[in-house]
Amino acid sequence: MSATTGYYVAGSSWLHRRNPLTKLLALALVLLSAFLLPPIVLVVLVVVIVAAVWSAGLLRPTVRAMRIPALLLLSILVVNSLFFPGATDVLASLGPLSITRDGLTFGLISAGRVLVAFLASVAFLFTTLADDMLETLIARGASHRISFVILSAVQMVPRMQDRAGSILEAQQARGLSLEGSFVRRIRSLVPLIGPVLLGSLVDVRERTFALEARGFGARPNRTAYRIVVDPPIDRWLRLAIIGLCLGVVVVAVTGFPR
Amino acid sequence: MSEDETRIAAPLRTDGLAVRYPTKKAPSLEGVSLEVGRGERLGVAGRTGAGKSTLALATAGFIPRVVRARLDGRVMIDGLDAAAAPADALLGRVGIVFATPANQLSASKLTVREELAFGLENLGVPRAEMDPRIDGTLDRLGIAHLADREPFALSGGEQQRVAIASIVAMGTTVLVLDEPTAQLDPAGTAAVADLLDELAKAGAAILCAEHDPSVLGRMDRCLVLDSGRMVALDVPGTALALAAEAASLTPPTLVRLAEAASLDLARAFDEPAVAAGLRAWADAGGVARELAHGATTATTAAAAAAGSIAAPPLPGPAWTPARERAPVRVAVDGLVHRYPGGVEAVRGASLRVDPGEAVAILGQNGSGKTTLVKHLNGLLRPDEGRILLDDVPTDGRSVAELARTVGFVFQNPDDQLFERSVEREVAFGPRNLGIATADVANLVVGSLAAVGLLEERTTNPYDLDLSRRKLVALAGVLAMDPAVLVLDEPTTGQDVDGVERVSAIIEAFRGAGRSVVAITHDMEFAARHFSRIVVMRAGEVVADGPPGLVFAPGNATLLASTGLTPPPAARIAARLGLDTVPLDAAALLATLRS
Repeated sequence: MSATTGYYVAGSSWLHRRNPLTKLLALALVLLSAFLLPPIVLVVLVVVIVAAVWSAGLLRPTVRAMRIPALLLLSILVVNSLFFPGATDVLASLGPLSITRDGLTFGLISAGRVLVAFLASVAFLFTTLADDMLETLIARGASHRISFVILSAVQMVPRMQDRAGSILEAQQARGLSLEGSFVRRIRSLVPLIGPVLLGSLVDVRERTFALEARGFGARPNRTAYRIVVDPPIDRWLRLAIIGLCLGVVVVAVTGFPR
Repeated sequence: MSEDETRIAAPLRTDGLAVRYPTKKAPSLEGVSLEVGRGERLGVAGRTGAGKSTLALATAGFIPRVVRARLDGRVMIDGLDAAAAPADALLGRVGIVFATPANQLSASKLTVREELAFGLENLGVPRAEMDPRIDGTLDRLGIAHLADREPFALSGGEQQRVAIASIVAMGTTVLVLDEPTAQLDPAGTAAVADLLDELAKAGAAILCAEHDPSVLGRMDRCLVLDSGRMVALDVPGTALALAAEAASLTPPTLVRLAEAASLDLARAFDEPAVAAGLRAWADAGGVARELAHGATTATTAAAAAAGSIAAPPLPGPAWTPARERAPVRVAVDGLVHRYPGGVEAVRGASLRVDPGEAVAILGQNGSGKTTLVKHLNGLLRPDEGRILLDDVPTDGRSVAELARTVGFVFQNPDDQLFERSVEREVAFGPRNLGIATADVANLVVGSLAAVGLLEERTTNPYDLDLSRRKLVALAGVLAMDPAVLVLDEPTTGQDVDGVERVSAIIEAFRGAGRSVVAITHDMEFAARHFSRIVVMRAGEVVADGPPGLVFAPGNATLLASTGLTPPPAARIAARLGLDTVPLDAAALLATLRS
């Protein structure tokens, strides 16, 4: 992962070839469906997304990228199963802890939603160049400031990871120990997180100056060097996706047919 | 052309420029009036905090539009009042490049070609015109071979040249640079200086804030700032001599040589001329001239020439050991290190550092210097070979444990500063080591005194400028009372004062029987304060010996293959065909007199 390409995995699969806007809309559709439609839809979404990344040859990097979110999903599941407030329908007990039906159900749904959100975002980031996204948004009339914020957000994680490595080394060299009790470990986070945040501010200032010097956003009649592909099929796809999004919202607002 | 017409034609002009930041009491710039004509390179020198960056920001039209500050007087760019003109109007007239190469690029482009296109897109240049303009710029600046490379895979020197090209492609007539070579190796620095020459020939007006005499010496004129005011504005040799006198500091070596032999200071950076002048001076008896500035008598000047006058004393004491500790021997034995992906960064390096030694490691970026030294405190582990401290292998000992013996100061202080006061920051390391509270207090005071920041003990580190933040980071490691001090680029971003401080600490450390290992790109710093020079190339140690041997004329080819050149005094001596290798001006003059 580099600062230039973020999470982008070079390739020419059918997902790579879609226009960034098409993929952004598809991402919106997935998120709307995951959070507004009945939970059973989550299963369909997971199957569809996994099939899509598999057909694009990205199954392996996707699984690798899910390792850290997996911990989050697991904790959502465990915490809800055990500590869901007001739930009494006990399924199983282990000493003072008991798993409740309501808790387990809620945990599964929440974890499912987060899983879908992560999978869809990863599929988007893996197949979309940040710069293409930027060009597309600007060409569609988005303000350069909004585009810049999106671009920075995409690039921030790799940058911070880079810096975090150097900071960890610098503080270890000053005798910071990352072992010991839980409290000790939590305390050792302060000298690590402090420089990430403070240093990022210094970094952002310099980078903003550099963009300013290159005239980013100074003139309304911006031109584009890079040609972002937009095959005819994408226009039809976008129309279909927008229709589906509206459909999801209508169904959610009017109540589900029972 | 009359003088008035020249005045109008100068693309960059300031009249009585004054800048005051809202958070500061004193103005950061005051009464600066200057002109930079077409094809002219104006260097801006001065200590850290003298106002160089502020002048750069103001002349690039960033104050008050981007950086909030009160601006009095005027900055005229191509006949436009920079403070009043809209951003759009200045675009394509003036551009600025800062110190950190990676931050100068848009960070989203896959090729250098696209990077250059970015500025043109923002200007609204039609796409059909872009490629010719990009190719023209890359050709003119001699970096056409980089066109299809990924900007982030380039070296710092290449990135900096791409950043300059990106500004130039926009058609700018005024180019402002704020310490463009501060983070580059000698080869990168020379390449950027060459590029500025090309730009000036093509008619650009260039204002370049710099510390490096090798870059300043190539400018047409040099402005020296002190506390925001103009101290000198003259040809580089004269201006730097005046500046050194005003601050009672040693001028750059070539200037000092030219002064001693009464040469024309305008030619102080013309090495063949300096060599010829020194030969004539030596033939005529080699009497050091009574220096034009100061009340220097002939005797003291001669004594200075013989090297018996020490550098001017620094305010505050140098470092003294707060506690006794046994010396430690360091040995690197057949070290091999591979990064994930199989790149061999260090390929079988061996090295010994005895107590009381100071070893400077030189080499181009990417030669494996940092990878090597990161093994000394266990940040990296050898793939082959061993690291021994007093003949005991470091295998299995944690970084935190090795930190008791080996202190490591990183290049970028912002990777470690996090406390709300300088004092707390410096106490962080010794506290981690579990040193007794009373001792910690002593160590903190001692190290802050050594870096000259005792008075800033309650200041937030981020309120200090970069050079002083670097000194805080150094103090933070000194306070851990290590037996071996490892420094990564201690002089980058430092002015002459800062370099003197770091040098004094290195000398004091050696004097106390401890040892220092430093990575540096500053040949003169290495030659003057280190007992041994180790040169690395492509992961191997290619030279190891005292400076007088490593910088000998016989090694010129080897050094050139690593992108290095001997320090100025040694270069002049080689031109004169001397068989000794003087490491500074005083030594060279003494050799010539005898």
